[in-house]
Amino acid sequence: MSVNWEELRSQFEEQIASADSLNVIEQVRIDLLGKKGRISALMGQMKDVAKEQKKDFGMAVNSLKQATEKLLSEKVEQLKAQAISSQLKNESIDITLPEKKRHYGTLHPLTVVQQQLEDIFMQMGYEVWEGPEVELDFYNFERANIPADHPSRDMQDTFYVDVTRLLRTQTTAIQMRVLEAKASDLPIKVVCPGKVYRNDDDDATHSHQFIQMEGLVVGENITLGDLKGSLELIARSMFGKDRQIRLRQSYFPFTEPSLEIDVSCHICGGKGCPTCKNTGWIEILGAGMVHPHVLEMAGIDSTKYSGFAFGVGIERVAMLKYGIDDIRNFYTDNISFLETYKRFE
Amino acid sequence: MIVTYNWLKQYMDLSDITPEELAERITDGGHEVESYHYQAYGTNLVIGKVLTCVAHPDSDHLHICTVDTGSDERQIVCGAPNVAAGQKVIVALPGCRLPGGEIKSGVVRGQQSDGMICALFELGVDKHYLTEQQLAGIEVLPEDAEVGNREVLKYLGLDDVIYEVSLTPNRADCYSMWAFGRDVGAILGKPVTIPDYRYQAKEQQANLKVSSLTDRCPYFYGKVINHVEIKPSPLWMQQALHAAGVKAINNVVDISNYVMLETGQPLHFYNLAKIPAREITVKTGLDEMYTALDGVQYHVREDDIMITTEGKAIGYAGIMGGDDSKIDDETTGIIIEAACFNLVNIRNTSRRLGLFTEAATRFAKGIDPLAAQKAVERSTQLLIELAGADGIEETVVYGQPDYQERKIETTARQINTLLGTEFTISQIYNVFETLDFHPVSRGEKITVTVPSYRYSDVKVWQDLSEEVIRILGYDNIVSTLPKMPTTQGALAKDGQEKRTIKQMLNGFGFDEAMTYSLVSQAKIDEGLLNIGQPVRIANAISEDRRYYRTSLLPSLMDVVSYNEARNQEEYGLFEIADVYSDDGRQASHLSLALSGKTTASKWQKQSVDNDFYTIKGIVLSLLDKLGYEANRIGFRRPERENEVLHPNKSAEITLDRNLIGIMGVSHPLLNKKYDIETCNLLELDLSAILERKKGKIRFTTINRYPAISYDLALVVREEVSGADIVNTIKKAGGSLLKNVEIFDVYRGSNIEEGYKSVAVAIDYQSAEKTLKESDVADIHADVLRQLSNKLQARLRD
Repeated sequence: MSVNWEELRSQFEEQIASADSLNVIEQVRIDLLGKKGRISALMGQMKDVAKEQKKDFGMAVNSLKQATEKLLSEKVEQLKAQAISSQLKNESIDITLPEKKRHYGTLHPLTVVQQQLEDIFMQMGYEVWEGPEVELDFYNFERANIPADHPSRDMQDTFYVDVTRLLRTQTTAIQMRVLEAKASDLPIKVVCPGKVYRNDDDDATHSHQFIQMEGLVVGENITLGDLKGSLELIARSMFGKDRQIRLRQSYFPFTEPSLEIDVSCHICGGKGCPTCKNTGWIEILGAGMVHPHVLEMAGIDSTKYSGFAFGVGIERVAMLKYGIDDIRNFYTDNISFLETYKRFE
Repeated sequence: MIVTYNWLKQYMDLSDITPEELAERITDGGHEVESYHYQAYGTNLVIGKVLTCVAHPDSDHLHICTVDTGSDERQIVCGAPNVAAGQKVIVALPGCRLPGGEIKSGVVRGQQSDGMICALFELGVDKHYLTEQQLAGIEVLPEDAEVGNREVLKYLGLDDVIYEVSLTPNRADCYSMWAFGRDVGAILGKPVTIPDYRYQAKEQQANLKVSSLTDRCPYFYGKVINHVEIKPSPLWMQQALHAAGVKAINNVVDISNYVMLETGQPLHFYNLAKIPAREITVKTGLDEMYTALDGVQYHVREDDIMITTEGKAIGYAGIMGGDDSKIDDETTGIIIEAACFNLVNIRNTSRRLGLFTEAATRFAKGIDPLAAQKAVERSTQLLIELAGADGIEETVVYGQPDYQERKIETTARQINTLLGTEFTISQIYNVFETLDFHPVSRGEKITVTVPSYRYSDVKVWQDLSEEVIRILGYDNIVSTLPKMPTTQGALAKDGQEKRTIKQMLNGFGFDEAMTYSLVSQAKIDEGLLNIGQPVRIANAISEDRRYYRTSLLPSLMDVVSYNEARNQEEYGLFEIADVYSDDGRQASHLSLALSGKTTASKWQKQSVDNDFYTIKGIVLSLLDKLGYEANRIGFRRPERENEVLHPNKSAEITLDRNLIGIMGVSHPLLNKKYDIETCNLLELDLSAILERKKGKIRFTTINRYPAISYDLALVVREEVSGADIVNTIKKAGGSLLKNVEIFDVYRGSNIEEGYKSVAVAIDYQSAEKTLKESDVADIHADVLRQLSNKLQARLRD
């Protein structure tokens, strides 16, 4: 019995190579390696082989079988890889189509500014104190050195509830409460943010409701120089490290001396632009040394202790920072306006 | 306040400082110059004479003039109806810049025109001060005007610069030009000369009686001048008044205004003939109609301080005199009034009447207690000089100013310590001297005497430190930081929690809104979680802002409505703010609104329907984050129906059985009212939540043993709630019961009317071993028994 092994092998090779799918290769496997396959058939011929040739014949069948199995498994792997790649190809998408929206909400721009300021102050060791918006005349005016006949009551048109109660016109009212609460627990180092109210008609630059933040530091030997140094730090945290500040004379009944603080313009750097009305400076803070009478009224010895106070309008800072031209935007809450301020800055 | 360059120039040498520099220096010294402008403006002007004037052949209103400008004769086409040959006029030569633009040579309807003959308003003079005649045509100058004079503005007395200065309330003294002049002198470091107001006249014995029946007029100076001659005041005075924004009327009235501007003391002059009784009494308590000199009738109220004679009102004290006794062309004698009136009364009356006169402004801000005497003397001096005053009676005085000379002692060290500066004693001494504080220095100590016009402002040595620093300059302050013990920064009470809530809601896609606290009665009525009776504003701007709100949702509804009207149909909004009750309670609330749908992808048609359960999820998640576990939270049907929330899709929220919030789907009536689609609403009382004890974080061992799970399909009556089923199972399930979860609710075929099928998954789990069915058989049987007994639930076939 003679078999042309070489020919068989190349027949098998060709049969395997020509398979173009996993189904076909399975058919080829059954045909070649199955129980009734061609290699099994060769095995079956063994009994007819002459005794002295049995060994060679057997080795040749085995060798063919191993080679076929190897080729088959390689082909299967290759076809599987092809199948995956063709599946992936078919699953191709247009990556330029719109995303599924993951909407992250925004803080109100006034909250953003208020929190930034609170954080700056807290890093400097200030405690945040709040107080009631429906306030007593006593804390809003009397304690702040503004008795009933004081002309500066004219500066702040007040919403009155009755003879003793009003809507606070200034967060100074909170400061007066802090002074009283901590008179025997000095030093004081606080910031007091909150809503305040003035009987004003609303327009682009006036709002009957707005947010102030005032700061108060009381201790031994606190000087006007300390005020200047502190406000310089704060101006730089808020508007950039190159900012300069300028002090100007002003008047508040609860401070003496009283100052307006201008910050060099963060838009033009001081050269002059529409934001700073070509002056290079932007008026941003009111400040001063706490009036001795204010300290005394709260029960603090003004010959031993001194202090400084300052105040800033949150709306004003936000308007300057973001170039907002109408204060009413803050209270209309147009969603597209609000969402302008969602970015981390 | 208005200050003019020429006025200040009377008191000090300003030759080395430009009007622009002056503005800057005044601002630096503490009086903010808000704006300034030249009274009139024009370059290349000259006085000319019209030689000939003929009608333009091709126009019905133009004239062709030849004009002598001193250096040439030129032809100018002029459209003014009043132009005529022989007139002296203002000529703007070609190249002249006027407020309206540049003048150029040109041809007007075929006729050469080399310049323009000007009207005053064309030079930028405020039309308010011009007569109708001046507004209608060119300015015709007096005969003696010098042809060829190129200093036209100076010739016209219109070369002044007008400063609008914003005075701080403590510096009301600067409403006096004399006081302001002194201050400017100190700022510039220049000597100041204030006019000497002494006069020589033999005075007659006074016939006048003045008195006050009210403490709101502490003193009153009166002086009769039996003879005055009414005529126009001199040009210099008219020009000074115009520049200061006061209309010139006649010499006598002008003197009263001029002296008020100089001294800060408002004056009133009465027509002597109209006060035959020679008696003036100040009183309050009148209730009558009264015609002021503006010709308007006003209703006098009890609190108004009135000037009266023979019981009849002749003046609103400190605000405006009466029509009857005003100075007119027939006046031959006058009574001078210089008094002081309570500033609060003046403020209230002037605000009520809407009369903010120069006098009222000054009284309302407080006047120099010694100014009345100065003003009477200065007026008399000027009346003698400019109005032929004669028959001058002695001044009569009622009362006296509440004033005592004030001395303050300080040291350079004291001032330097407060300011953080190193000024020398002599620097500080000089400041006080230039400010007219008459310093006396002895050793370390400097004692000053406060001038009467600074009496209400300068009281303690700290006030002096302000004078020092504003005059010497804030640039002298060196920046330092407070030397004090290190302190730890901290947020206010509940501050961290509020920040956490905001951050979480941002993460859930909600935008933070901020709305006004003051609302209308209708908004108060719409509130669901009201803190109590509202705080009512006595002097509200309008009924829309009458109350401080007692809850937040009504305000947020406006925001929803506003945005929906602008095609923003999908939204999540919230606000955190405080609410107050009239009895003094205060709480922080949270309001929240969520649209009915949130779209993730339009083209993939993926969107989420938001409903009651969406809000419920947000509430539970927020509360869990804050430390309040779900088992402490309850949801119950609101007791009372309202027109804000759907009666059957809303709930009151409780924490440890205390009411903390209300939530639900918007009521159809609310949707209609705000013109919005159905949405989901929530209001929480954050204060009520945060005052409850928070749960602590505690470690629990991770369970290594698997759970046994059963799914039950129960048929129950409609009125049996999900919570009834879950609670019954939990109670019966005991400690091995790990979890109960409703995973389906079904109504329809196979389920009879009035019933529903609820599918529940139950997990049993032990921390000690793997459970076998036999371990839980008894418990599970009991669960089924309890469901059947308590809820009449049966297993679905």
